Amino acid sequence: MGEVEDSADGFPEQLRSYSENERHWQARREFILRNLPADWAGGRLDQLLSLSMVWANHLFLGCSYSKDLLDKVIEMAEGIEVEDVPQFTTRDEIMKKRQH
Amino acid sequence: MGVPAFFRWLSRKYPSIIVNCLEEKPKECNGIKIPVDTSKPNPNEVEFDNLYLDMNGIIHPCTHPEDKPAPKNEDEMMVAIFEYIDRLFNIIRPRRLLYMAIDGVAPRAKMNQQRSRRFRASKEGMEGAEEKQRIREEILAKGGFLPPEEVKERFDSNCITPGTEFMDNLAKCLRYYVADRLNNDPGWKNLTVILSDASAPGEGEHKIMDYIRRQRAQPNHDPNTHHCLCGADADLIMLGLATHEPNFTIIREEFKPNKPKPCGLCNQFGHEVKDCQGLPREKQGEHDQFADCPPGSEQEFIFIRLCVLREYLEKELTMASLPFTFDIERSIDDWVFMCFFVGNDFLPHLPSLEIREGAIDRLVGIYKNVVHKTGGYLTESGYVNLKRVQMIMLAVGEVEDSIFKKRKDDEESFKRRQKEKRKRMKRDQPSFIPGGQFSPQALGRGNRSSPQAISNPRQTAYEMRMHDKHNSTPSVSPNTSFTSDGTPSPAGGIKRKAEDSDSEPEPEDNIRLWESGWKQRYYKNKFDVEVSDEKFRRKVVRSYVEGLCWVLRYYYQGCASWKWYYPFHYAPFASDFDGIADLPSDFEKGTKPFRPLEQLMGVFPAASGNFLPPTWRKLMTDPESSIIDFYPEDFAIDLNGKKFAWQGVALLPFVDERRLRAALEEVYPDLTAEENRRNSLGGDVLFVGKHHTLCDFVSELYKSSNTEPVDLPPELCHGIQGKLTLNENAVLPDQTIQSPVPQLRDLTQNSAVSINFKDPQFQEDFVFKAVMLPGAKKPPPVLKPGDWEKTNNNGRPWRPQLGFNRDRRPVHLDQSAFRTLGHAMSRERGQSGSGIYSNAAPHGAYQGNPYRPLLGGQPQIPKLLSNLRPQESWRGPTPLFQQPPQRYDRNSGAAPLLSWNRMMQTQGAAFQQNQYQGLGGPMNYPHRPDDRMDRGRQGYGPGRPYPLPPPSGRYNWH
Repeated sequence: MGEVEDSADGFPEQLRSYSENERHWQARREFILRNLPADWAGGRLDQLLSLSMVWANHLFLGCSYSKDLLDKVIEMAEGIEVEDVPQFTTRDEIMKKRQH
Repeated sequence: MGVPAFFRWLSRKYPSIIVNCLEEKPKECNGIKIPVDTSKPNPNEVEFDNLYLDMNGIIHPCTHPEDKPAPKNEDEMMVAIFEYIDRLFNIIRPRRLLYMAIDGVAPRAKMNQQRSRRFRASKEGMEGAEEKQRIREEILAKGGFLPPEEVKERFDSNCITPGTEFMDNLAKCLRYYVADRLNNDPGWKNLTVILSDASAPGEGEHKIMDYIRRQRAQPNHDPNTHHCLCGADADLIMLGLATHEPNFTIIREEFKPNKPKPCGLCNQFGHEVKDCQGLPREKQGEHDQFADCPPGSEQEFIFIRLCVLREYLEKELTMASLPFTFDIERSIDDWVFMCFFVGNDFLPHLPSLEIREGAIDRLVGIYKNVVHKTGGYLTESGYVNLKRVQMIMLAVGEVEDSIFKKRKDDEESFKRRQKEKRKRMKRDQPSFIPGGQFSPQALGRGNRSSPQAISNPRQTAYEMRMHDKHNSTPSVSPNTSFTSDGTPSPAGGIKRKAEDSDSEPEPEDNIRLWESGWKQRYYKNKFDVEVSDEKFRRKVVRSYVEGLCWVLRYYYQGCASWKWYYPFHYAPFASDFDGIADLPSDFEKGTKPFRPLEQLMGVFPAASGNFLPPTWRKLMTDPESSIIDFYPEDFAIDLNGKKFAWQGVALLPFVDERRLRAALEEVYPDLTAEENRRNSLGGDVLFVGKHHTLCDFVSELYKSSNTEPVDLPPELCHGIQGKLTLNENAVLPDQTIQSPVPQLRDLTQNSAVSINFKDPQFQEDFVFKAVMLPGAKKPPPVLKPGDWEKTNNNGRPWRPQLGFNRDRRPVHLDQSAFRTLGHAMSRERGQSGSGIYSNAAPHGAYQGNPYRPLLGGQPQIPKLLSNLRPQESWRGPTPLFQQPPQRYDRNSGAAPLLSWNRMMQTQGAAFQQNQYQGLGGPMNYPHRPDDRMDRGRQGYGPGRPYPLPPPSGRYNWH
């Protein structure tokens, strides 16, 4: 996976959240490393983290966001391979099924 | 605790904990309402000292009621809240303290649940509004009639969250309300009122607990204070037990299943929005006097007596030959702890423990087996002994497999039974149903006051006969029927639609807990990890164990950490709890709660962003926002074996506190002064009226304008301790208090006073002891002693206690009263022997308000029984038959919740008939059809207009 070596202060491992399993983290880690801006030490990192979470939530939790946002993160994640993505039914889908 | 089933289970298992409330209704004279004087003794024959209101349980039903049309605007909501509190006050009549607690910001551990509720509520609200709009258009296009759409905006119930303008306004209104009642209501004269509004951090019920805990820990507390806590949450029962106060009662609305709800479009009862046809409104009652009054009348209240629950638990938990001394108080704490395994607001429940499957009984059984080996109790004053808990969990783990298998079996057999039942229902039609004027009519329907007289019966009989000949149909034999061309077809007759309700697609279950490999599948599906990932599984278990420690501490000591939360959507298995004995159970100290607007950002979906300032709102929608991941537009629901979306687990992402705070830092400068005020954390405010012993003391403080905190002198206030500081926005004597609600008047002659109040403070490492205080007297036992038969009671049978008072005196009617009754009752009805109400249910029984006579012209009996529950007093002949029919369900096992001890209610209104029957025990006048048979069997003279009570036996009192 990550070609960038983990730096001494624990980056990027420190960005892993407690509840994230290895598989999810490795995917998100790659997402972050691929899109790391040159000046990542600045405030911009939070925005990248947020986008990485949007992507991970969409993939592993079944969340959906606005189309623009989803298109953006999917583009950013191009090339990251995730096997065996879990399937979800969103609330809107359940409600739609009930109506028909 | 979000476990509705818990209360049902508890009240079935321990029925005597429930006492129905007696409520004195305000009387009306010449159209003027005479308020009830609540300074008079409590009609429930008990006196309460302190009443605590968990206000959110009041705010929700008053702002978006389910059983009546919604209030039109915020002012009406406020008035509804005032009236609701008045009603409770009238029932409970606290003599010392009224404590009102509105939910403030909650600990982080609660945020997951709050988020999930608010994200769902927002979606449900929008869907509801869309459906209404669609159907409204359809109906109007078809020429239907609907009341004009009010201009009001849809009420977003999400505004009932600390930090919103609505909550701020509510606090203002409640301050006015308290001041008004202190000035004008005699029952409030000597009362201390504490209002803890949404600006004071903590959940309402936990603020109340904190207050009780801190008062108990100081020497002036009266150990025999009688507490009454109002709220419907099951966890109030746990909290009440956790106080170890001997006199603790909970009051809540009685849950009645299937209450009719008005249609959201036309406000009429009897159909839902989707079936609305826009028909003109039918007159309710002869003079439309029942408009707005849903059938089945007003919500009633019940008491839950925790001292009786303690008695039951004592019986259940007492263990002989323990290797250590048995202490019921400690056992109760352990029981409370085990209830958390089954469900609480902070942790998902263990997959193997379902309350409906008797999980608590199972746990208690295991507990009693294991406790011999543990060498002591599981908990002490809210601290958990993990080594012992591990033994319990692993014992549950051993039977987990069989629990899942049994669950599957039960489900299967339930489905089978349902299917058979449906089949039977289809088949077992009566072979002949009379038609025309003889056709059967559902009981109690319709507005006709009596059935039509039969005219020309022979003609009808002939028609029925001829009709039958023409189409000798469905019911030649119960098992075969004929299609239209006369050929027999298999049972079920006319080809039924393929999609029968039993073939409805089941939600797919890919966990299959009943099949081997369940653990693997569970972890794969719920956590997306392999079962071999031991490290991850340890993490989950560790968090769960922390959670159990946190929750117990929260109940017994207060919030251990505002930051802690359970970071997963699912629980581990009981069998995974090995090696937990050495896990740390400490929490980070000195954590701070969120501020109100911060919490709003944490729990609201973007759709409720209108409650937040513009730049804050933007963080919820802007793709560039550094916290945009918190606000998905749609989210997955895992039905998790359940059927409906609202029962499933909402898979919402967790909030990253650091990123939230960082993002907010940039928009904090945008807050206006007003928003800054709403965003700040406040405290509790104490109010007293001019007759209170504390009033002069407080007024003096304001005169001296001392800004230092002052000790509240406990001798002036029933032993309450705390610190007082001057309130900038106080209610002061001789100052006019503006009414925040237009339809209510300003208080021009105020004499009440308010001041900031702070609970007694203790060292951070202080441990509140979970023990009964010295000097506390246990209330007299209610349950039948186990050795009743053995001890000599002069052969008297055991008489169950139904109210608070064992020696309750039944109401007595003397002979003159009976003469008056006989005079007022219409003679013809009784003499006919089979009056209309003896073979058919009373007409109009469902028509609503049961304590207003229907027939204006009937002679009314003057107030014979002025101290009765008004709805059971005899105003005229008709009301008698209008009591809701559940009353008579006493022996119906199907509705035990409704009927467990209605006796108690009727007791107050019963007519003692000893002199006629020589029977002991109060009886109401039943009007069941079968009672007709009893007539004349006993001492009533012929022509007595009222039937006798059921023969005997049901009450076992003689």
